[in-house]
Amino acid sequence: MDESKPGNHRATLLNKEDLLKGYKTMLLIRHLEQQLVDFYLKNKVMSFVHFYVGQEAVAAGVCNNLGPEDKVFGNHRSHGHYLAKGGNPLAMVAELLGRKNGCCHGKGGSMHMIDKSVNFMGSTPILGSVVPIATGSALASKLSKKSGVSVAFFGDGAAEEGVVYESINFAALFKLPLLLVLENNLYSVMSKLKDRRSENYSTQQIVTGLGAKYIKADGNDYLDVHAKTKEALSFISNGVPVVLECVVYRHMAHSAPIFDDKACYREIDVPEERERQCPIRKLKALLCADPATSVELDALEAATIEFCKQVIEQANNSPYPEAGEFLTDVYAQ
Amino acid sequence: MYMHNNLSFTDAIRESTLQGMERDPHIFIMGLGVSYQNGADGTTKGLKALFPDRIFDTPVSESSVTGAGVGAAISGMRPIIHHGRVEFALYALDQIVTQAAKWNYMFGGGNPVPIVFRIAVGRQWGNGPQHTQALYSLFGAVPGLKVVIPSSPIQAKGLLSSALRENGPVVYLEPRWLYGTRENVPESPYFEDLSRARIVREGSDVTIATYGDGVVEALKADRLLREHNISAEIIDLVSLQPIDHETITKSVNKTGRLVTFDTTHSCFCVGTEIIAKLCQRNFSALKAAPVSIACPNVPCPTSTALSAMFYPTRLDIVRAIQSLLKKTVTEYPALSFEELHLSPKFDFSKNE
Repeated sequence: MDESKPGNHRATLLNKEDLLKGYKTMLLIRHLEQQLVDFYLKNKVMSFVHFYVGQEAVAAGVCNNLGPEDKVFGNHRSHGHYLAKGGNPLAMVAELLGRKNGCCHGKGGSMHMIDKSVNFMGSTPILGSVVPIATGSALASKLSKKSGVSVAFFGDGAAEEGVVYESINFAALFKLPLLLVLENNLYSVMSKLKDRRSENYSTQQIVTGLGAKYIKADGNDYLDVHAKTKEALSFISNGVPVVLECVVYRHMAHSAPIFDDKACYREIDVPEERERQCPIRKLKALLCADPATSVELDALEAATIEFCKQVIEQANNSPYPEAGEFLTDVYAQ
Repeated sequence: MYMHNNLSFTDAIRESTLQGMERDPHIFIMGLGVSYQNGADGTTKGLKALFPDRIFDTPVSESSVTGAGVGAAISGMRPIIHHGRVEFALYALDQIVTQAAKWNYMFGGGNPVPIVFRIAVGRQWGNGPQHTQALYSLFGAVPGLKVVIPSSPIQAKGLLSSALRENGPVVYLEPRWLYGTRENVPESPYFEDLSRARIVREGSDVTIATYGDGVVEALKADRLLREHNISAEIIDLVSLQPIDHETITKSVNKTGRLVTFDTTHSCFCVGTEIIAKLCQRNFSALKAAPVSIACPNVPCPTSTALSAMFYPTRLDIVRAIQSLLKKTVTEYPALSFEELHLSPKFDFSKNE
């Protein structure tokens, strides 16, 4: 199989139950974020936000291959990674709204997701910063002879930071159980790949040259991401760290609860193409080949919408942290 | 002199850049998003159309972009390197602190590095621990750099113009909190002194030494102080490397009292540096112990319930000065949500 070609998925590997699981994860991410978009537009939410809408197949396809012992790190756009790993939705929304029961007790905000009960180990907005940290997490697993892989999600912009290359070399040298998920959504804010990389740039050659395995997936396709992640995990179990590049469309602006098509920088991922490639729409079409499933999916969607509504309402009714709390936690107890 | 009415801080930076580029063909700008329609927070708006080859977007590789700037600077160019957040500039600290700052000295002189590092710093709603640091004293601690902090649109334009004529590296730290402030600004080019503090307000009872976005807060405090017949002298430090201790000493000689105001952490802050130097130089002029007002020593939290307590305000300045003068401390109502969390639309020209 030519691993450099995306879209070469093997749907047969997944049974209906697996597909439903992926669909459910993606629906939760999509609906919770869409309701948060509305909430942001109607209320003064003071947490700098980056929405994941459109990229759900990457988080879901990767995380649905992981077990509880596998550890995940994220970036500034990590609501999806957090939810897909099983992070608590209420703690996420409460964090966005600055409440005491938020996953960082209000100290972090949208760019800082964490739920260690499910091994979602933290997300940070400094580009590339979690790549060496996930490498260190993988190093710890190896040194302490624990099972489980460490996974970092980062973008195509972050992939240009020197520390990413340094970390791949480090991980390859020490044969670390590391999966680097490079979510290539084509833009760093609004800067196109062709304005940041030479036409001869090859992630595959860089990664391979550093001694790691390179696998490419269609990030708009749950089945492909799922299959390629499975393949990646088999290389990792043989001591070869993997960079899984998922080419994917970010539907909304880099930050803020808005669509930014008026800025006219998008070339391929225009609204019609985004809709055509929407991972949720595609998986739904596949599942609905069986008419009985269609009814099931409608009920699932209605239940998800209602669940998200309740989560946001509950978060919005939660108390703010108390005054003295901003002085705590500078040092660990 | 023809004046722009109410020019914004961002437009003042833009105009200085434009005039510099017209004057000097060696100036070019690189950094993430600087070529956008509304690039670098609006400070490079429209410049790409005027100078298509001299302003460009870069890979997301701060260390190499900054180093390439240093390399171009020692090779006859005059780059402006833009970092939209100081946290990203930290990736490039080797190039700024260890290379550019030392180059001329360690090679025995005659090796200038004419480069301007424009770095956005400081508070912004909802940006929390990893997007709102200022790290003023970090840059101030490096001999070989000139470090300036514009506090108003006039300063923003004049300091950048001077930085673009300097023969060595200048770190130009822009408090993003001030981007929306306005002032009447001369249209033609002018040049502010890069290493001299300025007296923003003359006064006789107390000296307030501050810089950057602290100046707006001090001016707001001054309105309240005048209601209590307290005459404050407000000093804008302008430069942190070097610090103009002479101007501060002279002022404290007159007032006998010093309050410093930082909008970043109190540990290793500029205020305590000033107080230390003042005590060494002129302890006997002090009628009371100096006071440093600054943020507490914790990272800046994101929740408004917590960040509301993080930044000191004009009320803290007033209270500190009333205590210093042994006057009754006024009980003011809490500041509004807008004043606490949203950047000021302050107009310096209308503040008299």
